[in-house]
Amino acid sequence: MSALINKFLPPSTAFATLFVLFLSGAALAQGKGHLEVTTIVQKEIHVENEDGDSETQLVVAETVLPGEHVVYTITFVNVGEAAAENVVITNPISESLTYVAGSASNGSMQVEFSVDGGKAFGLASELRIVDNGVERPATTNDYTHVRWVMQNELEVGAKGSASFAAVLQ
Amino acid sequence: MRASVFACALLGYSVVADAAGTPVGTVIENTASVTFDLAGTPTTVLTNTTSLTVVERVDVVVTLQSPQILVAANDTDRALLFTVTNTGNGTEAFTLSIDNVLGSDDFDPVAAVPAIYFDTDASGDFNAGDLPYTLGVNDPNLAADGTVDIFLVNDIPGGVVNGNIGRSQLTATSATGTGVPGTVFAGQGDGGVDAVIGSTGGEALEFGEYLVSDVQITAVKTQAVADPFGGSEPVPGATITYTITVDVVGAGTATASVFNDVIPTFTTFVPNSITLNTAPLTDALGDDAGDFDTSVVPTIVVRLGDLTAAGGTQTVVFQVTID
Repeated sequence: MSALINKFLPPSTAFATLFVLFLSGAALAQGKGHLEVTTIVQKEIHVENEDGDSETQLVVAETVLPGEHVVYTITFVNVGEAAAENVVITNPISESLTYVAGSASNGSMQVEFSVDGGKAFGLASELRIVDNGVERPATTNDYTHVRWVMQNELEVGAKGSASFAAVLQ
Repeated sequence: MRASVFACALLGYSVVADAAGTPVGTVIENTASVTFDLAGTPTTVLTNTTSLTVVERVDVVVTLQSPQILVAANDTDRALLFTVTNTGNGTEAFTLSIDNVLGSDDFDPVAAVPAIYFDTDASGDFNAGDLPYTLGVNDPNLAADGTVDIFLVNDIPGGVVNGNIGRSQLTATSATGTGVPGTVFAGQGDGGVDAVIGSTGGEALEFGEYLVSDVQITAVKTQAVADPFGGSEPVPGATITYTITVDVVGAGTATASVFNDVIPTFTTFVPNSITLNTAPLTDALGDDAGDFDTSVVPTIVVRLGDLTAAGGTQTVVFQVTID
């Protein structure tokens, strides 16, 4: 199984929960064509575990408060009869949300960002922005979109996922 | 800031600054797209759309605006100024209360009746234009990021002595409710969304202090330079006008107060330029309150006499020229 799944974040208790949801996610897939794609949004909650320690869990979210962390996860599966090439997953980042640095990291896909509404994309370290006539490196506050560029083709039947976290302002 | 821009587009709000966070009721929809090539043919598919509704976070902060207030025994209507800020993201009403029985102080101020006032005229000073607060009648209803300035008005009891401190505390409590952070009041937020208690617990309190103090005198000196060419450059020949304001605070009388100021080096005193509260004084000794004393070093001397807080500010002005 692990060979088929792109681990999108370091393992933790929180993401064990996410994996279960991911596996059932394919059934929810609504995309048409040869890839079925679906997205879910979750938020981090802090709960007390059996040992009385506080731990972070992800739960599917419909409501959110300023300051809360939300996690968007996009899953995809090739249901066609041919490999898909040049797979790129693009997700806008709402004006109300601030991307959490590093959260989109993905072992098998290159992560790029846009600071101009999705027209141009680049690596986080390369993006620059002109602010009141002065050019400066872009920060996570400037990101309008995140995208993942798959390095290899997606074989028939193969699955994957991409996710990122953001904080509600 | 970005949050408010988004809300404008979505809801037509006209709010600008948004330190309190994304406005309650904002809906954040998200759809990802996936592009790929199948046998060289580009294809795009969209995911389902997720939707998040921003619910109300209930938070409040009280900050003290007044410095420590210097008072005397039996003073009346001494006011402390506070600001109550709605740091939540929705509109919220707050009830206000005063508490004067606090630990770590020397006496309990006596709450005036009424004791809580709005700074209605926004002057920062408690005066006749300020309206009293009545619980449940005019509880401040604050928009997100909204503030209201509040006075606590107290009398100072007799029997206190110099150095005693008395504290008076303002508490602002969310009308929706209070609780540990995360407490949910279902459907109690703006527009019927849930209200959730934030990090402040929905209640905030802050105290101010009264310090019983003997009379104290403060003097503040300012200068204005006028050069011979109509400008304000400190060049030779330029005139410096010094203005010293003397204020008295606290209780009691400062008897036979005398103001002394040595003329700065590399300057020359302008004869007959001393004034006290705009009235001219001569440079001679003995004919009025002021003189220019050259017996040791050139010094301005103004005998202010007996000073009290009620006497108001004393203003001394004199001039020198730069050598």
